[in-house]
Amino acid sequence: MVTFILKRIGSGLVVLAAISCLTFFLLYFSSTNIARNILGEYATPEQVAAKQSELGLDQPILTRFATWVGNALTGDFGTSWFTNEPVVQSLLTRLPVTLALVVTSILIIAVLSTLIGVAAAVKRGWIDRVVQTAAVIGDAIPNFVLAIVFVTIFAIQLGFFPATSSIQPGADAGAWVASLTLPVIALVISGLTSAAQQVRSAVIKQLEKDYVRTLRSRGISEGVILFKHVLRSAAPAGLTVLSLQFIGMLGGVVIIEQIFALPGMGALAVQSTTLGDTPLVMGVVLYTVIIVIIVNLLVDLANGWLNPKVRVS
Amino acid sequence: MKFGPRATSVAIVAATAVALVGCSSAAGGKSGGGSAVDTLSIGSLSNILSFDPAQAHLGHQMPLYQAAYDTLVLRKPDGSFAPMLATEWEYNDDQTVLTVDLRDDVTFTDGEKFDAEAAKANLDHFKSANGPDAAQLGSVSAVDVVDEDTIDITLAAADPALVYYLSQAPGLMGSPKALGTEEIKTVPVGSGPYVLDAKSSVNGSQFVYTANEDYWNKDLQKFAKVTIKVLTDITARTNAVVSGQVNATLLDAKNGKQAEGAGLKEVSYPVDWNGLFLFDRDGQNTPALGDVRVRQAINYAFDRETMLEQLSLGHGEVTAQIFGKTTDAYIPELDDAYAYDPEKAKSLLAEAGYADGFELTLPVLPGTEAIMAMVQQQLADVGITVKQEAVPQANYVTDLQAAKFSAAWFSVFQGEPWVAIKQAIGPQAAYNPFKTTTPELQAAIDAVQTGGDKSGELAKDVNEYVTEQAWFAPWYRIDQMFYIDDKITVEPQAQQAVPSIYNYAPAS
Repeated sequence: MVTFILKRIGSGLVVLAAISCLTFFLLYFSSTNIARNILGEYATPEQVAAKQSELGLDQPILTRFATWVGNALTGDFGTSWFTNEPVVQSLLTRLPVTLALVVTSILIIAVLSTLIGVAAAVKRGWIDRVVQTAAVIGDAIPNFVLAIVFVTIFAIQLGFFPATSSIQPGADAGAWVASLTLPVIALVISGLTSAAQQVRSAVIKQLEKDYVRTLRSRGISEGVILFKHVLRSAAPAGLTVLSLQFIGMLGGVVIIEQIFALPGMGALAVQSTTLGDTPLVMGVVLYTVIIVIIVNLLVDLANGWLNPKVRVS
Repeated sequence: MKFGPRATSVAIVAATAVALVGCSSAAGGKSGGGSAVDTLSIGSLSNILSFDPAQAHLGHQMPLYQAAYDTLVLRKPDGSFAPMLATEWEYNDDQTVLTVDLRDDVTFTDGEKFDAEAAKANLDHFKSANGPDAAQLGSVSAVDVVDEDTIDITLAAADPALVYYLSQAPGLMGSPKALGTEEIKTVPVGSGPYVLDAKSSVNGSQFVYTANEDYWNKDLQKFAKVTIKVLTDITARTNAVVSGQVNATLLDAKNGKQAEGAGLKEVSYPVDWNGLFLFDRDGQNTPALGDVRVRQAINYAFDRETMLEQLSLGHGEVTAQIFGKTTDAYIPELDDAYAYDPEKAKSLLAEAGYADGFELTLPVLPGTEAIMAMVQQQLADVGITVKQEAVPQANYVTDLQAAKFSAAWFSVFQGEPWVAIKQAIGPQAAYNPFKTTTPELQAAIDAVQTGGDKSGELAKDVNEYVTEQAWFAPWYRIDQMFYIDDKITVEPQAQQAVPSIYNYAPAS
């Protein structure tokens, strides 16, 4: 197990290095007029040239990359070009908001999709048809549309929740709950149906296997068969879709965060990328990749724990 | 300025529990709004580069700085100037030295005293720190301390906008001890009416200020607490003001309808002019534009009333001049200088030898597709074929200033006459990429520069010239549509995208 974890961490570091390199070079080729955009429309050409020099934009790309890597290895990710705030501070301020939003949504999706998926697989009939229809509808309605509808009804018309985030440093749990409830529900609705559909398919597949018939012939109760054997075997499919949803949500919460004005990573990532704020984009990418690597590792470990057949030695 | 891991855990567990049981939180949507008398919450569409006053920028960002920093000169809502940290100011005879007397009873929040040395340190820092508006002090050659509360600002050439600049970014005064440090980039150190509560603020999300207890001018300090929420998305700004989370914000005509429906008060005032810059007046790249009759034909081709109605739902005033109503250069008659007349446009084109029209390439900024479609249709009606070329937002200004296009749409603020001349008319203006000029125009510009108190009036000649010569094709002055709730009042700020922080007051 330790070897497996070390191997995964090793390959994760390789991925991290490759993505850092790729992102830096992509930013170099896609970002133009950064100094002009920092200084605005009334800056003189001389001012723009001075700003380029100050930021090192007049240096060759390899020199700039080497400088960034050297600093990053010492934990110095630099300062945002557009807010002058240290990158690490920007990320530490915003990461908890995005993680709270995404982790909460995924936990709810995990619980509800398992319950609904298993019910649809076991009972079939109308529950199954509802799940399958809902999966299509859930996929068809973007979560930001749901978010706008929810804001209009529950925040503006009824006043149950704040229309935009009231999360701020030192805010109590009530403010977090009030600010995250509508965005979480929007994310859950759009993610739940497809996850439930995956669980349903995986459970049906397992229920058709020979070992289930054998267990039944030995008089083992349906509950034990379902929860002790079938669900364990079906778990990899569910965990895989959840991990994919988690990773997708990290990037996909951008619009949700903008609608609710949540001070999360999504808005930060979009703004910094649009502006060409290289230090901040690199920070966002590194943190995101690290989170993705950790999530994938945890999913693999969970799969192994749940299902001996995929357990690694 | 960090959310601790405990808070995150609490939030995850609590949000999960609440959502699973399907109950709503006790924290209602209206709770974020300020109480009627002592708190103000504003939705801002702009973040700031840094709290270093030398990195400040005019317009949307000013309230964020005004909360923490005083300026040398106070710009009143009607655009006139009043004492602030400067008590009085006077030019020498040839308008090249401005002597400024300063208050002697002001201290910064770090305990440093404001005096002539501090004012000099700030102005020198502004010139050297390469901020967005550094060029505003481009004509300043030296700042000298005359005595403890007097400075001389010496100019290389007369600058009729200098006093205006001292009411904007260059006039923001920070503690000399903090200037140039890393700390001031994220935590302002000024002498303004409010002090940033850094622990409650998140850069790019919200800035929380509390009243500066030792503030020298209580008349400008009307709230105990001010929160400025950065809401770049207009839907979020609309939701925030409609639900009572912020007291005031800037919207547009479409979203304004929702705000009106919710009973909010509209405070509109014109700041920008919308229309086409006809850059290539010498016909270098597009020979047709070198003929004044062609440029006038373009002006006659636009049905400004219809454009205003369709593009801005009627929120604005049609015009054919680029100088604003709040300036001395404004000439009321010029608003109707080019009344819609497509037949006259065709006849002018024919006189100029373009009876069959010509092709004009215009850049298209993302989000302006509807505007450009209308431009294309109206110019097509008189025989001019518009070819559209999409330009990314990040490249738009750079491409215009690099003379890549002979003409372009833009929305530009109508500042003081000398500001407008430096912005769009003078040979070195940012928006005169082909550097066009004529001896007649230059003489008029020179008269404005050295005109002293009459400078604004003299700019009428410049206005008449560029309107008659059709250097531009303005359509209308668009309203800044500001919405407030009934807990506060606000006065519009002349020539500024949003009201100054001092313009807000509790309704009672």
